[in-house]
Amino acid sequence: MATTTLEPQASEYRRSWVLDWLTTVDHKKIGILYIVNSFLFFFAAGILALVVRSELAVPGLQLVDQDTFNQAFTMHGTIMLFLFIIPVLSGFANYIVPLQLGAPDMAFPRINALSFWLLPLGGGLILSGYLFGGAAAEGWTGYTPLTNRAEGVGTDLWIIGLLLVGTASILGAVNFITTVFKMRAPGMTLFRMPIFVWTVLVTAVLILLATPVLAAGLIALFIDRNYGGSFFDPSVGGNPILWQHIFWFFGHPEVYIVILPAMGVVSEVLPVFSRKPLFGYKAFVFATIAIGLLSFSVWAHHMFTTGAVFLPFFSFMTALIAIPTGIKMFNWLGTLWRGKLMLKTPMLFALGFISMFLIGGISGVMLASPPIDFHVQDTYFVVAHLHYVFFGGSVFGVFAATYYWFPKMFGRKLNEPLGKVHFWMHFIGFNLAFFPMHQLGLSGMPRRISDYSGNPEWTILNLISTVGAFLIAASIIPFLINVVATFINGEPAGDDPWEGNTLEWATSSPPPPYNFDRLPPIHSERPLFFLTHGHGHAAARPADLEEEPSDDVEHRGGAV
Amino acid sequence: MRSTLRVGLPIILIGLLASGCMLPPEPRTEAGEDVFNLYLLVLGLALIVFIGVEGFLLYAVFRYRRKPGDDVLPEQLHGNNTVELIWTLIPTVIVFVLFVFSMITLGAVEASEEAEATTIEVDGFQWQWTFRYENGASETGSLGSPPTLAVPVGEPVRLILTSLDVNHAIFVPDFLLKRDVIDFGEAREPNELTFTVTEEGTYAGQCAEFCGTAHADMTFEVQAMPRAEFDAYLEALAAGETPPPTGDCETTIQLAAVESLRFDSDAISVPAGEAFCIELTNNDTVPHDVGIADIDFNGEDVPAGESITYQIPAMETGEYTFICTLHPQAMVGTLTVGE
Repeated sequence: MATTTLEPQASEYRRSWVLDWLTTVDHKKIGILYIVNSFLFFFAAGILALVVRSELAVPGLQLVDQDTFNQAFTMHGTIMLFLFIIPVLSGFANYIVPLQLGAPDMAFPRINALSFWLLPLGGGLILSGYLFGGAAAEGWTGYTPLTNRAEGVGTDLWIIGLLLVGTASILGAVNFITTVFKMRAPGMTLFRMPIFVWTVLVTAVLILLATPVLAAGLIALFIDRNYGGSFFDPSVGGNPILWQHIFWFFGHPEVYIVILPAMGVVSEVLPVFSRKPLFGYKAFVFATIAIGLLSFSVWAHHMFTTGAVFLPFFSFMTALIAIPTGIKMFNWLGTLWRGKLMLKTPMLFALGFISMFLIGGISGVMLASPPIDFHVQDTYFVVAHLHYVFFGGSVFGVFAATYYWFPKMFGRKLNEPLGKVHFWMHFIGFNLAFFPMHQLGLSGMPRRISDYSGNPEWTILNLISTVGAFLIAASIIPFLINVVATFINGEPAGDDPWEGNTLEWATSSPPPPYNFDRLPPIHSERPLFFLTHGHGHAAARPADLEEEPSDDVEHRGGAV
Repeated sequence: MRSTLRVGLPIILIGLLASGCMLPPEPRTEAGEDVFNLYLLVLGLALIVFIGVEGFLLYAVFRYRRKPGDDVLPEQLHGNNTVELIWTLIPTVIVFVLFVFSMITLGAVEASEEAEATTIEVDGFQWQWTFRYENGASETGSLGSPPTLAVPVGEPVRLILTSLDVNHAIFVPDFLLKRDVIDFGEAREPNELTFTVTEEGTYAGQCAEFCGTAHADMTFEVQAMPRAEFDAYLEALAAGETPPPTGDCETTIQLAAVESLRFDSDAISVPAGEAFCIELTNNDTVPHDVGIADIDFNGEDVPAGESITYQIPAMETGEYTFICTLHPQAMVGTLTVGE
């Protein structure tokens, strides 16, 4: 009998730690790169916010001149949105979506790496304006013809940087859509996918449809500025309103691009820490899809005061969005009802999300009314509204995700007391910083002004807001200490520290490069819960359990 | 946990209270009154939703806490069609109510735009305004000396809004109205803003659309006055005089700054015990102003070739010194108050 000696397979290709991270195509490492990169930009944009708030603490110009101020709020908005909130949620999606689907990686690992590496490049270009005579200073919305006529290369760098970041988004969106449709584990039907995956899927579709429109607009703007184009400048026959249409046709779906995945995070965290399933899973999925569809028909509610849009249509469509959003709100409350709540840090941030996003949602419905918008448009009321959505919503979701999935990523749990200190400083600072802005806006303080000497009565609220901003900044200190301390001496997490429901908790922490040695059977949207408890409730057994009995444990090797 | 709540909640509440009562200013236009009433309705709905949801959230957090060692699973409730249908209807009803009332108010605001009105052309430019009236008179502001928009009270006023460069927006918070000031080029007619001011007075206005470096300085002042006063104001403006601001002064002293850092007069006199005006015309090539140190009066700078009228409060009998605060050594004069 001839024997064949099996040579060991090619030994692992050794490379340095640095080279490994620079060249990785593993979705988990890329996810971590996304998150770390995003937090660095978060700190940069946060410092710019402190510059803005410090200048506005009292009337008069004390700290910076007008141009520096204008650059600061422009860069703050641009960086926060395009280089923090969008990518950090992409980062979590990168790490978690393949795990939740039971997949070994994203569909296109190399494109995944490309879409990450475009981010620091694009972000670096946007910020590099500071090195070349001043960054862009036309606001993150870059309204034309102001942006056409802005002097200096900073604005061109802003355009090019945004194009790169947009390209990264589009590539990532293609990757997510393909992954969701093609990489699901056996048994993982669309309606058994975790809500987070659903929200990422809808977000990816929004990105794919909306971001190319922004890219086209940016290219047209670049042509206007550098090659004698006349798209947006009325003095050479262009239409200044066209830019607003293009920007907001992207910009409003963009709001949902940054809020939907955060809603997904909350919808993962609430059931786990209430020990109940999400109330109304399918209603939640349809509401998410409805929000995505509606988001393309509301853009001109940013333009009510231009006198150039049909108010009733856009007002009506905007108000309609409140319905699926309201359904979600009730679904979350229904999940808490008669649950057994554990107020760990991820849960605190998720509850913070609900309570704060509610305020942003309410002020959003108020803004949908054109007569009210005539008064508060372009005032601090809008600044308050968008921060309750982006910060009270998305950023609270980001921190919920951070505390929730950190143990999976690094095998150690973040410290609870420090997490709670972080949450409360964050929550109080946030409300001090942004709630007074509602009243400032109602009183008539326009946004984007560097000085309000003519209205000294606005001082006290501005001062409170500035104190709040510094409290938010201070809340990052316990967070950073927590991260460092946990790396040094954190409590080991084990595979499933929270008694989770979804597949990412079915593998080791951190997971091996190929993600799963074995997968549990998937009979519901909570495969892990099912494994321990069955359905937990006989009456709630879905019929499909009987249809697919004893789907054996799946074995999946490294290379699939 | 409980103790952080005990500390945290009061801090939040104080912050919320300090933010005021969440109301816009008392409206001074007819359309603004409609907007204000709509706002009250919407704020009421908002408060109901806010208190309902936040209240339930707090209740759930305290009522449904997992006790240590409690490993019994709660009922695994996946949904309830009846309940879900009801809570789909709740936001639907709310947004339809909001939409209907918004449209009613919008109709009222827009109906007023059809009225016969006094027309004032408004040019926005980086970073000031020009107001042109029907009789050809106009006033243009400059950085540091914003212009006055005079309007008659109790009758419709229509502003024709044109931008000479980038987008601006005209905003008077007390009117609860604003409209973008855009150069539409050939694309469409300029925007208009029609309103009826209901009360005499002076109202602050400001550009509300970010327009570049000195956006924050693009302010103006609205003076709403009775028709007769408005006509007189326009006549004076057309005659090239700087019109006296309302509450006008009995005595106006003409003073000019002339070349080589001099005032054209080094002795002026005014009656005692009543407010007066000094109109400074700057015929020099550098900016000048007027200051009276004894009463801490320091007038705004007047650029070369322009003029300004300072209002000065009543002073007691006596001899005072007036200066150009930019050239206090060279430009000095005596101000005699009373006999």
